[in-house]
Amino acid sequence: MRLVTSWLREFVDVKASADDIAATLGLRGFEVASIEPDINHNGDGDAVIDFEITANRPDCLSVLGLAREVATAYDLPIMLPSADAGAKSRLATLPAGTSEWLKVTLEDEDLCPRYAAAIAEVTIGSSPAWMAARLQAAGVRPISTLVDITNYVNLEIGQPMHAFDLAKLAGAEIRVRRAKPGETITTLDGVHRKLEPDMLVIADRDRAQAIAGVMGGAASEVSAETTLVAFESAYFTPASVRRTSKRLGLKTEASSRFERGADPGAQALAIQRAVALMEQITTGRPLGPIVDCAARQAEPKRVHLRRARLALLLGVAVPDADVERILRSLGLEVTRTADGWDAIAPTFRVDLLREVDLIEEAGRHYGFDKLTATFPVMTQPAPAPDARIPRDQTVRRVLTAAGLSEAVTFGFIEAKASELFVATTPVPAIAVANPLSGKFDTLRPSLLPGLVDAVAHNRRHGRRDVRLFEIGARFAPDGETRGVAIAWTGGGSAEHWSAATREVDFFDAKGVAEQLCGVLDVPVRFKPLREPFLVAGLAASIVAAQATSRTVADGPEPGAVIGLVGQLAPAVADARGLPRQDPVFVAELNLDRLERARVAASDATRPLPRHPFVIRDLSIVVPDALPAEIIRGTIHAAGRETAAPLTATSFFDRYQGKGVPPGAVSLSVRLTFQALDRTLTDAEIQQSVDTILAALVREHGAQQR
Amino acid sequence: MSTPQPSPESVAALVAQFETELAQARTARDAQSVRDRYLGRKNSVVASWMQLVASAPVDEKKNIGRYANELKQAVEARWTRYSESAPDAAPAGAVDVTLPGRVPALGHRHPLTVVRDRLEEIFVRMGFTVVEGPEAEDEWHCFDALNMPADHPARDMQDTLYLATPITYSDNDRRTLLRTHTSSMQIRHLQAHQPPIRIVVPGRVYRRDDLDLTHSPAFGQIEGLAVGEGVSLADLKGTLLAFAQQMFSPTSRIRFRPSFFPYTEPSAEIDLSCWQCDGAGCAMCKKTGWIELGGCGMVHPAVFEAVGYDAERYTGFAWGIGIERVAILRYQVEDIRLFYENDLRFLEQFPY
Repeated sequence: MRLVTSWLREFVDVKASADDIAATLGLRGFEVASIEPDINHNGDGDAVIDFEITANRPDCLSVLGLAREVATAYDLPIMLPSADAGAKSRLATLPAGTSEWLKVTLEDEDLCPRYAAAIAEVTIGSSPAWMAARLQAAGVRPISTLVDITNYVNLEIGQPMHAFDLAKLAGAEIRVRRAKPGETITTLDGVHRKLEPDMLVIADRDRAQAIAGVMGGAASEVSAETTLVAFESAYFTPASVRRTSKRLGLKTEASSRFERGADPGAQALAIQRAVALMEQITTGRPLGPIVDCAARQAEPKRVHLRRARLALLLGVAVPDADVERILRSLGLEVTRTADGWDAIAPTFRVDLLREVDLIEEAGRHYGFDKLTATFPVMTQPAPAPDARIPRDQTVRRVLTAAGLSEAVTFGFIEAKASELFVATTPVPAIAVANPLSGKFDTLRPSLLPGLVDAVAHNRRHGRRDVRLFEIGARFAPDGETRGVAIAWTGGGSAEHWSAATREVDFFDAKGVAEQLCGVLDVPVRFKPLREPFLVAGLAASIVAAQATSRTVADGPEPGAVIGLVGQLAPAVADARGLPRQDPVFVAELNLDRLERARVAASDATRPLPRHPFVIRDLSIVVPDALPAEIIRGTIHAAGRETAAPLTATSFFDRYQGKGVPPGAVSLSVRLTFQALDRTLTDAEIQQSVDTILAALVREHGAQQR
Repeated sequence: MSTPQPSPESVAALVAQFETELAQARTARDAQSVRDRYLGRKNSVVASWMQLVASAPVDEKKNIGRYANELKQAVEARWTRYSESAPDAAPAGAVDVTLPGRVPALGHRHPLTVVRDRLEEIFVRMGFTVVEGPEAEDEWHCFDALNMPADHPARDMQDTLYLATPITYSDNDRRTLLRTHTSSMQIRHLQAHQPPIRIVVPGRVYRRDDLDLTHSPAFGQIEGLAVGEGVSLADLKGTLLAFAQQMFSPTSRIRFRPSFFPYTEPSAEIDLSCWQCDGAGCAMCKKTGWIELGGCGMVHPAVFEAVGYDAERYTGFAWGIGIERVAILRYQVEDIRLFYENDLRFLEQFPY
């Protein structure tokens, strides 16, 4: 709302500068977009303050509305429009009655409870300079006397008006009704529009002449030849105007006022003001009375305000005198009662409905700066946070410590990216119904597309080594899950002068996944996986291992998939702008599922062994297709029976080549034996190693090297 | 080498000669041999003078002894000074300690996480519990329950991204959407708990905005909510003031500028005194002395009614602050897109 200060001063005799007024209202709920000083370039002090009016204050889309705020802020009287000869905003004295010129029928009063009209005999020309200048300063283009008057009244008191050329209204009548099926209209902007049956129109005897509250029709537009006009000043219900405006994609000065809520009591006033202006600029004279059709009178809202409630909610006791002064100045009728006040809110304040609304008014003008900062009383200890929060922090710590930096990508991606990452058993992607761009039209089913794009961004900017991770929501038809994904390309170890850099491989990514699962106390296994977006043979699914008695009750079944790890297929990398030849390793884990697969570890520490451990290395040749996990299983199974307790096994070498037959592999296993109660004898250990070796020979045809 | 007779002149000459020879020494070994010739136990200059003391007649003993001691002390002092400033020879197996070490890889938290962690930490200290809610929501939780019925003009303020397929835990058949604010979690929490309530809700929210220098279709918010008996707007001011002083500067001030949000009444914008100029006006605060931080207010009774609370018995306050907004201010980031590009050159500027 562009407020012209000279116009404002016709309603309130405020001496303050435009800057001061802007700053003062800025602290009372009216944000200032800009100030244009000295608009007349003559040093008269006239300025325009452009206020941003919040959705709850349609009354302040007018000079009069803002004048009330200024009057209250500066504790000055308001000079309302009046029929007094000396009034700056003068009203014509015009009776209400029936007109011989125009018949008005309210057919759909649910959408238009009040419709006022008046006829005038006019000679249309150009508005005087002062009026044209004011309109221009307020941001409205001057057109002709009649149109300018309706705009002027709208800006001044906030009641949108329209003027019809009476000669063009068939049957000299106005019917306020819903559009008929198939009805059309050409609006003032020259657009031919199809109307829908729930849109309210202003029609003459034969057809729609205006879209109620939105825009007039071209057929009855006032022109230079017009001699008789019908002024319209109506109240259209906000929902109806809003719906129609939205459906037609047509937003106007009028519609934006009506849809937020015009003053249901200002219809006659607006006509009185328009007629006075018409007489003032000698462009016409009224013919007959105001035809004021009211289905129901606007009822002012009665609201009780308790002094104690006011003090409780604001946390400060506003003196009674201030409460009364503020509310009265804003146009409320206030009567003191035992515990506070009975107030009657004026019809233009559509936002004042209940006690708390009055508390805001009192607080706002009393000044929030007068509140003493206090701290809310705590009566109970704070409960524990959402379990996901400490868990995510742990995950983040583990990953940053592993050298991965955290990425944040959007929750939506482009369908094209989503399709590249579709699994063999696809989960339907969720589309955004009204995306602003194709880049963000699908909710991400996985964190990988976004993360891979982030890797591509870094590669494009010359970064060779990229390690990123992201923690975030993934979307599927059965709900939202929290996941973590990693992407790693370039060096597997940091570059250092002492040795050549090793390239990242499958086991780097797998190691990170293992570390995460370990820290979260989730036993997992890795199984070969075939997914179209991963390189076959270099991909694994991460599944929950055997559940134990300590697993949470609703944890995933053993074998349930928790995540995956592998090398991104070169075709996918290529499609996302990554160099085809660069291996990119990725992993993604479902954190919610991981959380449920957690095996609660005992807090009790284990005693440190008092007897020495003994290490034996064993080298065996086995078929190279035999998974290490199976060999480990055989060793563990055999180790359960041995005389010397087997406490650890590790693979420390894997060799293929000279001395090992093709199709076989030499594996070196380190076995650690230790007993808690005694020092192991050589005989015990030899017997144990023999037992394990025998099992390996028996189960896998292993040969000792 | 012939040694002159002890005298004050010969002491000065020998000291000067010692210094010259030391200065000419090229290696530590050379320097050591110079030192040994003057200070060694046997056959050195000082040793020969000491022998003279022993053999001198009684009346000369005193003087010769004094010259011998003067010479010894002067030469020792110069040797100490020389050996402290001379570079040591590298011992066997020495490394060039100025070569770079093997620095273990260390990743960085995203700046939005750094800010979020800090915000959470401050509010947790004030007795708030951190909770999280779903990003895919339904209209009831996101709008209706927050006093924004279908025809409410305020719904325009937050242009919404709707979903083509229903998802979520919805207990109603309303349209599903990406939440436009974390306030939807207020509703979920109020429904599931009883006062007193004191929570902060960090999370991602979505708007139908294009991505440009200052706008993003997705961004982070942190919402706060306190509900109880007698909770007031002054309490909100105190809470946010304490937050501002811990987050920004111990001298930070808070200003409430009245505003409008459908789910709070009274409502206010939170202004923070500019910590660069402490309110005097600078480029950062656009000469106003204040920086807008977010919105806040007292929970609207209609919200309490929507979740079945006694709006007469309980009052509450709520606020919402943009995480990017805080990060932009704190780290002076010019382009919001930097947060989502995940350029390591940007990310690595933030703490571990």
